[in-house]
Amino acid sequence: MKFKSQRVAYWFFATCMLLLTLQIVYGIIMGFARIGMDGLHPVIPFNVARAVHTNLLVMWLLAGFMGAAYYIVPDECDRELEWPKLAYVQLIALVVTGVTAIIGFHFNWWEGRKFLEIPRPLDFLVVVDVLLFITNIGITIWKSKRITTTVSVLFFGLLMAALLYLPGMIPFDNQTVDSFFRWWVVHLWVEGVWELIMGGILAFLLIQITGVDREVVEKWLYVIVGFTFLSGILGTGHHYYYIGTPRYWLWIGGLFGALEPLAFLGMAIYGIAMYRRGGRNHPNQMALLWTLTTCILSFVGAGFLGAAHTLPQVNMYTHGTLVTGMHGHLAFWGAYACLVLAIITYAMPQVTGRKRNEDASASYAFWASNIGMLAMTVAFGIAGVAQVYLERRAGMEFLDVQRELEVHFIGLLLAAMVFGSGIAAFIYNFIRYGLPVAEPTGPADPTRRSSDEADGVVVPEPAAGG
Amino acid sequence: MLSKSAARLFFLVGTFATTVAFVALTVDTLRQVPEQTNEAQLSPAVIRGKELWESNNCMGCHTLFGEGAYYAPDLTQVYERRGPAFIRQMLTDPEGLYPGQRRMVTYAFTQEEQDDMIAFLEWCSHVDLNGFPPPPTVGVATAPAGAGAVAVPQVYQQICSACHAVGGVGGQVGPALDGVASRRDADYLRRWLEDPLAINPKSRMPKMPLTPEQLEEVLAYLSTLKAGEPAP
Ligand code: HEC
Ligand code: HEC
Ligand code: HEM
Ligand code: HEM
Ligand SMILES: [Fe+2]
Repeated sequence: MKFKSQRVAYWFFATCMLLLTLQIVYGIIMGFARIGMDGLHPVIPFNVARAVHTNLLVMWLLAGFMGAAYYIVPDECDRELEWPKLAYVQLIALVVTGVTAIIGFHFNWWEGRKFLEIPRPLDFLVVVDVLLFITNIGITIWKSKRITTTVSVLFFGLLMAALLYLPGMIPFDNQTVDSFFRWWVVHLWVEGVWELIMGGILAFLLIQITGVDREVVEKWLYVIVGFTFLSGILGTGHHYYYIGTPRYWLWIGGLFGALEPLAFLGMAIYGIAMYRRGGRNHPNQMALLWTLTTCILSFVGAGFLGAAHTLPQVNMYTHGTLVTGMHGHLAFWGAYACLVLAIITYAMPQVTGRKRNEDASASYAFWASNIGMLAMTVAFGIAGVAQVYLERRAGMEFLDVQRELEVHFIGLLLAAMVFGSGIAAFIYNFIRYGLPVAEPTGPADPTRRSSDEADGVVVPEPAAGG
Repeated sequence: MLSKSAARLFFLVGTFATTVAFVALTVDTLRQVPEQTNEAQLSPAVIRGKELWESNNCMGCHTLFGEGAYYAPDLTQVYERRGPAFIRQMLTDPEGLYPGQRRMVTYAFTQEEQDDMIAFLEWCSHVDLNGFPPPPTVGVATAPAGAGAVAVPQVYQQICSACHAVGGVGGQVGPALDGVASRRDADYLRRWLEDPLAINPKSRMPKMPLTPEQLEEVLAYLSTLKAGEPAP
C-alpha cells in the first residue's frame, strides 16, 4: 500500500464478505424449497429468496468493484484519494440503501422485474450514491499527473455502468418494451461495461503480480475490450429472439452472440500468456491463482456455457429453463466473483500489513469454493438439460418434470455445502488479517516503472502480531 | 506487430460503429413492436394487470416470455392453456387447485384485480413471439386423445388435465382417468363433478367452475374412457 487513503478499500471488501454470506443463505433456502422442503414459504416465499439472492450478488460485486477502484486508482495515479471521508459516507449510504431494499422485499415492496427488483424510490438513492463514487475517483484521476490506460478503462467501465442503470428505471406499459430495456441494463452490464471493469482490474493485477511490461499488458487490454464491445453491443440481440421483437434479431443476435466468447477466450489467453511471460516470482501466489482462475473460469462460464445456448435454434428450447440458471452461476462466479476475490486476496496483505495469504485457510478457500461451484454448475446443467427434453421436447407437465429433477437439487445442495465451506474459510482468513494499518506500508513509486515496484515485496509482520 | 495506438483505434472505431448500428436497430424495433404486440389492445385493465404482475413479483417464481424464475410454469400461454376460470381459481386459492404440490403465494386480490391480471395474461398470450414456446417434437402426444366420435372438450384440456392424466398425458395430482367410465357409473360421475366435496368432504378435488354445457361435454367425454380400450 503506497497511500493512506487506499485503506478505505478494506471496508468495501469487508462489506462484500458480509453480503456474500447472506447471499449464500438465501441460495440454500431456494435449494431446499426445490426439493420440497419449503417450510419457510409463509415468511420467505421463493420469489423473496430469489430477489434477495440475486440483488445481494449484484450489490456485493458492486461494493467489490468500488473497493478495487479505491485501491487501484491512488496506486496508478500516484496520489491520495481526493476525499477519503466521502468514500466512507458513500459506503454507508450504499449499505443502508441495499439493506432497506432487502428488507422491503420481505414485505412485498419491489418492482418485480428480474434483477432490477429494487423499488424505484431506492433506485434514485443508488444513482446518487454511485455518482458520489464516480466523482470521487474521477477527481482523483483528473488531478493526477499520469493517467494510465488501465485506470481509464476502469473508470470508463464504472461510469458507463452507472449510466446504463438509467434505462432500467423508465416505466413502460408494454411488457415487450419493458423487457427490451431491461436487457440494456442486465446484458450491457455483464457482457459489456462490466468487462471493462474486469479488464482494468485484471490488467492492474497482471502488471503487479507478473511484472510484465505495462505497454504490452495495456495494448492487449485495448484489443480485448475492443472485441467485447464489437460483439457484446449487438450481441444484446440474443435476448431479443422470443420476447415480441422483430425477427431480424434472430440473425443479428445469433451472429454477434456467437462472437462474444472470443472476448472471454482472449481474456483467458491474455492472462496465461502474461503469466508465462512474467519473470517475477511474486510473493502472493494466492492472488496469482485467483487472477488466473478468473481468466479461465470466465471463459468456461460465460464464453463456453454462454455459447452453448446463444444460437436461436437452441435458445428456442433452453430459453427460461435451468440451463440459463447453470450458465448464470458459473458466469457470475468465474468472471466477477473470482475477480473481486482476486483483488481482495492481492490487496489484503498490503492494507493490513500482515501476510496471511499462505495460510492453510486461504488455499482451502480457493479449492473448496471453486470445486464446489463447478459441481453446482454440473448439477444445474444436468437438471436443465433434463428439463429441456422432458418439458420442451416431450411436452410433459411442468410440475411432473420438476418432480423428476428433485434428485439433482439434492446434488446441488451437497455441492453448495462444499462451496459454502470454501467461502467460510475465505472469510475466516479475511478476519485473521485484522484491521488495516494506519500508515502506508510501501514507498510511493517515483520511477513509475511498475515492474520493479516495492509494493509486492513481503511486508514484515508487525511485532504485535495479528 | 500491432502498436498500442492501433489497438486503441480498433477499440474506438469498433465501439462507435456497433453502437450506431444498435441505436438504429432500437429505433426500428420500437417502430415495429406496437404491431407485433397488438399495442392497440393495451386496455387500462391490461396495464393495471401489468402493474399487479410487477408489484407482486410473479416473475420471482414464474417466467413470462421465457424470462423470470424457473420455479413455476411459464405463463406466456397460460390463458390459452388453462382459461380464465382456472386462473381466477389460482389467484383465489392456489393450494386448492394443486394440493400438496410446490406452493404459490395466496393473494388477496379483489374480483377487479383478478380481472385485470387475467386481461394482462390474455394480452400476453397474443403477442407474436416468433414461435416461442415451441411445440414438443418428440413422439409424445400433447393432449389426451379423444375416443371415437367425441373430441376432447377444451375445458377438459384446460382444467382437468392439470390434475388428471389420460393415456399417460396430463398431471398427476388426481388419479389417471383411463377406464373411469368402467369404474364409475354415469350418475356418480355427474354427482362427483357437480360437487366432489358432497361425496367426499375430504376430497382434494375442488368444485370445478363448469357451465351446464361444459358439464355435459365433459361427461360425454368421460363416458368414452372405458377399461381395456386405450385412448386412440
Ligand atoms: C412463490 C412462488 C410463486 C409466486 C410468487 C407466484 N406463483 Fe403462480 N404458481 C407457482 C407454482 C409453484 C405454480 C404451479 C402450480 C402449483 O404447484 O401451485 C403456479 C401456478 C400458477 C398458475 C397456473 C399455471 C398452470 O399452468 O397451471 C397461474 C395462472 C399462476 N401461477 C399465476 C400467478 C400470478 C399471476 C402470480 C403473481 C400475482 C403468481 N402466480 C405468483 C408459484 C408462484
Ligand atoms: C386440483 C386438481 C384437480 C382438478 C383440476 C380436477 N380434479 Fe378430478 N380429482 C382430483 C383428485 C385429487 C381426485 C381424487 C379423489 C379425491 O381426492 O377425493 C379426483 C377425482 C376425480 C374423479 C374420480 C376418479 C375415480 O376414479 O374415482 C373424476 C371422475 C374426476 N376427478 C374428474 C375430473 C374432471 C372431469 C375434472 C375437470 C372438470 C377434474 N377432475 C379436475 C383432482 C382434480
Ligand atoms: C460474465 C459474463 C456473463 C454473465 C455474468 C452472464 C449471466 C447471465 C444471466 C444471469 C442470465 C439470465 C438473465 C435473465 O434471464 O435475466 C444470462 C442469460 C443468457 N446469457 Fe449470459 N452471461 C454472461 C456472458 C454470456 C455470453 C458471453 C454469452 C454468449 C455467448 C451469454 C449468453 C446468454 C444467453 C443466450 C442468455 C439467455 C438465456 C435464456 O434465453 O434464458 N452470456 N446470462
Ligand atoms: C450456496 C450456494 C448457492 C445455491 C444453493 C444457489 C441456488 C440458486 C437457486 C435455486 C437459484 C434460482 C434458480 C431458479 O430460478 O429456479 C439461484 C439463482 C441465481 N444464483 Fe444462486 N445459488 C448459490 C450461490 C450462488 C453464487 C455464489 C452466485 C454467484 C456467483 C449465484 C448466482 C445466481 C444467479 C446469477 C442466479 C439467477 C440465475 C438466473 O436467473 O438464470 N448463486 N441460485
Ligand atoms: Fe447476454
